[in-house]
Amino acid sequence: MQTNSLSLLTRSPLAGVFVALAVIFTLSALISPYFLTPYNLSVIARGLAFVGLITIAQSMLMVLGELDLSLGVIGGLCGVISGILMVRLGLEPYSAMFLAILLGAFLGLLNGLLVTVLRLHSLVLTIGTAGIFGGANLVLTRGVAITGIPKNLHYLGRGDFLGMPVPFVIMLVALAVATFVMLKTPFGRYMYAIGNNQAGARMLGIKVDKVRLLVFGVAGAIAALAGVLMVARLGTAQPSIGETWVLAPIAASVIGGVATTGGIGSPIGAIFGAGIIAIIENIIVLFGVSPYWQGIVSGAIVVLAISFDAISRRYLRRDA
Amino acid sequence: MKKLAILLACATALALPVTASAQDAQGTIKKDAYRFVVVPKVVHPWFDKVNEGAQAAAAAIKAQTGSSVEVIYSAPQSADVVQQNQIIDSALATQPDGLALDLLDPSGNRASLEEAQNQNIPLVIFDSIPPEGMAIPYIGSDFCEQAKIAARRLVEVLGGEGEVAIMQGVPTAPNHSIRAECHRQIFAEHPGIKVVAEGIDNDSIETAQQQAAAIMQSNPNLKGWVASDAAGPIGIGQAIVEAGKQGKVTLVGLDNLPEMLDMIRDGVADSSSASQPELQGYWSVMLLWAQATGAKVPGYLDTGNAFLTKENVGK
Repeated sequence: MQTNSLSLLTRSPLAGVFVALAVIFTLSALISPYFLTPYNLSVIARGLAFVGLITIAQSMLMVLGELDLSLGVIGGLCGVISGILMVRLGLEPYSAMFLAILLGAFLGLLNGLLVTVLRLHSLVLTIGTAGIFGGANLVLTRGVAITGIPKNLHYLGRGDFLGMPVPFVIMLVALAVATFVMLKTPFGRYMYAIGNNQAGARMLGIKVDKVRLLVFGVAGAIAALAGVLMVARLGTAQPSIGETWVLAPIAASVIGGVATTGGIGSPIGAIFGAGIIAIIENIIVLFGVSPYWQGIVSGAIVVLAISFDAISRRYLRRDA
Repeated sequence: MKKLAILLACATALALPVTASAQDAQGTIKKDAYRFVVVPKVVHPWFDKVNEGAQAAAAAIKAQTGSSVEVIYSAPQSADVVQQNQIIDSALATQPDGLALDLLDPSGNRASLEEAQNQNIPLVIFDSIPPEGMAIPYIGSDFCEQAKIAARRLVEVLGGEGEVAIMQGVPTAPNHSIRAECHRQIFAEHPGIKVVAEGIDNDSIETAQQQAAAIMQSNPNLKGWVASDAAGPIGIGQAIVEAGKQGKVTLVGLDNLPEMLDMIRDGVADSSSASQPELQGYWSVMLLWAQATGAKVPGYLDTGNAFLTKENVGK
């Protein structure tokens, strides 16, 4: 039984990134006396929640063999729109949030439509649409934050549920749903089939464009959810929301074993990768690393984590 | 035995008021080691000067009291309030003896500041103002007066006539928005002065240069510039030189970064209205230390402005 469990663990594609995450977590706990405090763990969890949501969305697209560089900007724009709906137009806060998430789904669908109908490369297309959505954000806000977000919404960004930050709980729910759909439903199997071989998937009768369109839409909605949750966290709709959500989710997904070429990986691995990045960002402050050294330190840890992942995977497979 | 008990009781009775007054006395709590965290808006040379001042204050406290003082400088890589809050929250987890902050957006930073107050961690805000309704000591120069000095100088150099432009810094940052507004107020007092454009540089020299180049391209009659942050005038100066408009477009800058001083010496900029970042860093740490010793501190501390021209900027 023990051998079976070990064999299952070592065969899992998540083994490498999980061990890397565990090593970084343990080392941080050993070096910093502040790392394992409940407050610090909640700081890490809250920070991870927002990037984590975008990471789930991006990893779903990456499994399809697509990339959407506008997800962070969609999050920012939808956050700002939710603020405008609540503050300037006086809409009920939860209705405003719902409409903003619908808008996110629409913008994601728009990306998907352009990719599937015009046969455009998603990476190149979304560089362009990121510019448009980011520009719309600036036009609407003129670079100035929208203040006066109703206080009853703050709980979604600042509150705790079962001892965990609410955004983190929401991220876990999104992760559970995404993982279930991708690993346990025919739709998920279609996603992997398309990511592995799009032409082959078409020949099998899978409605490739429909699946791609739908995943772009869902990814846009998840990005918008991250944006409106950040508005609830800050208590203002900042035009800068989402600016730092572009590269980190892609890096997290790659660290977590999601192939940029499609067909390999899962949102769980991507979240492990995002966890590594979140811990690095935290320990850099706990250790008081100079801001001029932060890029080198965090980059080096990411390189070490990826290398460790690759080596341990090879080693564990040989052992199994 | 009975005598001993009476003696002890008398000694306790005499000692009590002394102990109580020592606990109540301001600034008498002493620790062997202090650790303060300084969080600026962004990685930026202006804030390096703040850090220099903060480190100097740490050395001064150590020299005078013998206590060791560590100042940890932790800056966001970009002027993003989300990133800044993440740094503040992580810093709070280390339970520092005090936290000095330059706010990117008082409303957006509010949750993290409230968390610090809940944890009874002394706070000081520098180069900014506290969120509305929050009693936090703050340090800075009179931002409005600093901007007005620059705007009045530009009006004077232009003889009260001409098209001018304003470079905003980070629009949500209160010190930047106050300066931009005060520039506008001075220009509005002079009918011959027309504000034809405003740029946003987000505290980035590169962005300021791009914005300034585009604005000068689309406004060929532009005669002068003022800025609202330290990065702005450096980018504007570079754009003026690249466009070959030195001597045709007047720049009155802000602050005292080395590049700004060089531009005054080279004649690219006329002058600069400068806040004093080293003093802001120095007194931030001093006020944090004073709070940590139990002393009451002033609600506002003005570090003043300096007006720099070719005559007084030195070589």
